[in-house]
Amino acid sequence: MADDMITEGMLDMFIFETEQGLENLENICLDSKDVGEFDEDNVNEIFRIMHTIKGASAVMMYQNIATLSHKLEDVFYFIRENHPESVPHAELVDDVLEVSDFITSELEKIKDGLESDGDSSELISTLDVFLKKIQKKTGSATQPAAPVEERPLQEKPRFYIAPVASDASKFYNIYITYLKDTEMANIRAYMAVNSLKGIAEDIMFSPSDIISNPDSANVVLEFGFKIALQTTEDAQRIMELINSSAGIENVEINECTSDDFLEFCVEAETPSSSAGEVLMAPIEQPTIRVESQKPQNIVLDSEEEKRSEEKSEGETEEKKPALARAAKRPAAKKGEAQSFISVNIKKMDLLMDLIGELVIAEAVVLQNPDLKVPGLDLTNFQKSAAQLSKITSELQDAIMAMRMMPLKNTFQKMNRIVYDTSKKLGKDIELEVIGEDTEVDKNIIEHISDPLMHLIRNSVDHGIESNEKRAQIGKIEKGKIVLEAKNEGGQVWISVSDNGKGLNKEEILEKAKSNGLLGNRSEKDFTDKEIYNFITLPGFSTKKQVTEYSGRGVGMDVVVKNIQGVGGVLDIESTEGRGSTMTMKIPLTLAIIDGIIFSVGGTNFVTPTNTVSEFIRIDKEKLIVEPDGEEYVMIRDDCYPLIRLNKFYHLKDAVDDIEDGIVVVLNHEDRKLAVFADKLVGEQEIVVKPIPSYIKQVKGISGCTQLGDGSISLILDTGGLVMV
Amino acid sequence: MSDISGMISFDNIEEVDKEQFMTFTCDNEVYGVSIKYVNEIIGLQQITAIPESEDYIIGLINLRGKIIPVIDVRIRFGKEPLEYNDRTCVIVIEVASTIIGLIVDGIEGVVSFAESEVTPPPSVSKLELQSRKYVFGIGRIDGNVKLLLDPNKLINDSDENEEEVEIEVEQ
Repeated sequence: MADDMITEGMLDMFIFETEQGLENLENICLDSKDVGEFDEDNVNEIFRIMHTIKGASAVMMYQNIATLSHKLEDVFYFIRENHPESVPHAELVDDVLEVSDFITSELEKIKDGLESDGDSSELISTLDVFLKKIQKKTGSATQPAAPVEERPLQEKPRFYIAPVASDASKFYNIYITYLKDTEMANIRAYMAVNSLKGIAEDIMFSPSDIISNPDSANVVLEFGFKIALQTTEDAQRIMELINSSAGIENVEINECTSDDFLEFCVEAETPSSSAGEVLMAPIEQPTIRVESQKPQNIVLDSEEEKRSEEKSEGETEEKKPALARAAKRPAAKKGEAQSFISVNIKKMDLLMDLIGELVIAEAVVLQNPDLKVPGLDLTNFQKSAAQLSKITSELQDAIMAMRMMPLKNTFQKMNRIVYDTSKKLGKDIELEVIGEDTEVDKNIIEHISDPLMHLIRNSVDHGIESNEKRAQIGKIEKGKIVLEAKNEGGQVWISVSDNGKGLNKEEILEKAKSNGLLGNRSEKDFTDKEIYNFITLPGFSTKKQVTEYSGRGVGMDVVVKNIQGVGGVLDIESTEGRGSTMTMKIPLTLAIIDGIIFSVGGTNFVTPTNTVSEFIRIDKEKLIVEPDGEEYVMIRDDCYPLIRLNKFYHLKDAVDDIEDGIVVVLNHEDRKLAVFADKLVGEQEIVVKPIPSYIKQVKGISGCTQLGDGSISLILDTGGLVMV
Repeated sequence: MSDISGMISFDNIEEVDKEQFMTFTCDNEVYGVSIKYVNEIIGLQQITAIPESEDYIIGLINLRGKIIPVIDVRIRFGKEPLEYNDRTCVIVIEVASTIIGLIVDGIEGVVSFAESEVTPPPSVSKLELQSRKYVFGIGRIDGNVKLLLDPNKLINDSDENEEEVEIEVEQ
């Protein structure tokens, strides 16, 4: 393989860009599946995407991907050029998705450092059959499907021959600028060259090391990309060919004389672009050796003169003298800040951790016991401390905002799942997405993708009835799933609703009874919510038949566990016959939260401030003890179950008398729970850390945090306590 | 058997002539743990107990912002716990990316053993099984015996291989 020349960065870019392309591709397919055809924009866009992938993967030497995308490109080329009347759309969408799946799986292999060894020939022949079919239908089978097809991907190396002008040939100077946020501009530039070489009698370009040197992407972005072309075609055809690749901002095509053409050759021979040898290299053969490059920071005298006019342009330029001439062109705008940068997520996590540490360190300083010496004048200290607190809290907000990502990508994946699943099950289902721009912490997004997928599958599989059933019971509307996200008081609510059959309470109760889950309560005692919650228990499935997608009863419990893992809850609502709604209520962020600290027998516990509804000292007569030892407290005529943490966790030296300690009332969803503690310690912003995995899960404890004095406190998980 | 195979793989990793061991006292014996696992040694600091966990897990400590669990080697070996004093130390070891603190009676020092100086432990009586199953070899130096520990076994819950060991002993 061409490992020597393909650098890590290029590979990353290739993967990133191809993934984005595929994502677009899938979206186009899924959006258009109901329309029944691709409109012109779609066709062009798919063509462009496949073209990009083809070019990039050919450069990266992934032949299987390249040939496959080439074939799909052919299909769309045909559609674009010949506008065939009746394209079997569903079939085409399936084929496109299969291609996309294939490339995705190959990308996974590449990402894992494996060889991309998948065999695409089967898919290619499927596409071939498809292409033949639509060609036959339009009666244009005799026409060549696409000019690109005539030119196999791997041509024999062609060697540079000094330009000899024939009568019909014209010379062009082509100047291409790319949008500032274009990724892998060098590869794009190469693709432009690639698309021109079909018509070129002779072609040269600068910078000439676009393939071997990933840094040339910046040069191309900064100074534009210059091509000298000798061809018999006219400017319009050239324009057409160049414009087929994405990211181009502007193309200038000027006819010139053969002298200008030769001048370009000389100019390109400056050390700034690569050595002459590279120019002589066959352009179809991307294996230009890196060694042939001369150091980039040698500036020739003649160049220096030109450059002196541009001194003000700063030092970075000094290092990139490539195409100094082009820099004078107005098209290459400089000093224009890029609006986005991509940052390695690890660096973000590190920053996040460090800010977490900073918040703790701040608490350590501001609550330092040394400050508690009586008689100290702390006025100035307090002022500075207030300033510090302000900055750290702003810093926290900033990093939080940085980590916020829209749910769009996650939701788009669901689109595909609905499509695939409903198709396999033969159900006609429509997905509506609302509020996909809602932003959530990246960490949380990662954790909700799986549960969301599961909920969607459940809705498709169990929720919505089959087409026949719907017709039978007279449901005229189409099966529909609504995926909605919205902000709701410091939380994000993501709901999946369907207009299917809803949950059958009797069936659930029946099943719960046979599993012995009802205890000694009568069936009528259970609220709807409690009944629905049964389906979230492990191994609980009322579905009589296990399908590929659901019914095994492992699923809803995992969903709930995942959601609880990020501090969220699952809310189930349902109307029998009308459908059900599952809502995930998830906190906006996990990392830093406000907490209230209280102690029990020397151990500190923290609970998120938003779960605490009140603290109260209660009298003995408000305490109700049941014969079996369970305790309840009466607060303003409401009765709450009481958990004594010291008994619950077997802690020694804790307060026993209800009048000496304090009762903390905690909310969990719509339930309230009273917890008995020794005393309140204080309030602090806490950075949630997981309990080391070495220690097995303790019920009611979801994590730990460091307090202002450096000691560790356990975070109480109200949900976990309620379950007990 | 499992001890011997443990030793073989152990030696394969380390291909130098001599391997260094951090030695510490616990009860009346001297134990050694290969220094490649040892991150650092710290004095005892404030420990936050974790309710409902195994008795040998004493709790969590805060090591410069990192929260790590600490276990008491005495209790792990089924010995009587000792009141912590100023000689009590915490050896922070990292095994298979798990960081954990070991509370020991005191630190002795570092000794080197060549491969030939380490002998597998003799077949053990059931009584001593608790502590011996963590020992992969015995090193002798100047007439003193050091019990060399396999930290993997020490930190992993080895209750499930207990039966296995017993069967071997009977054979």
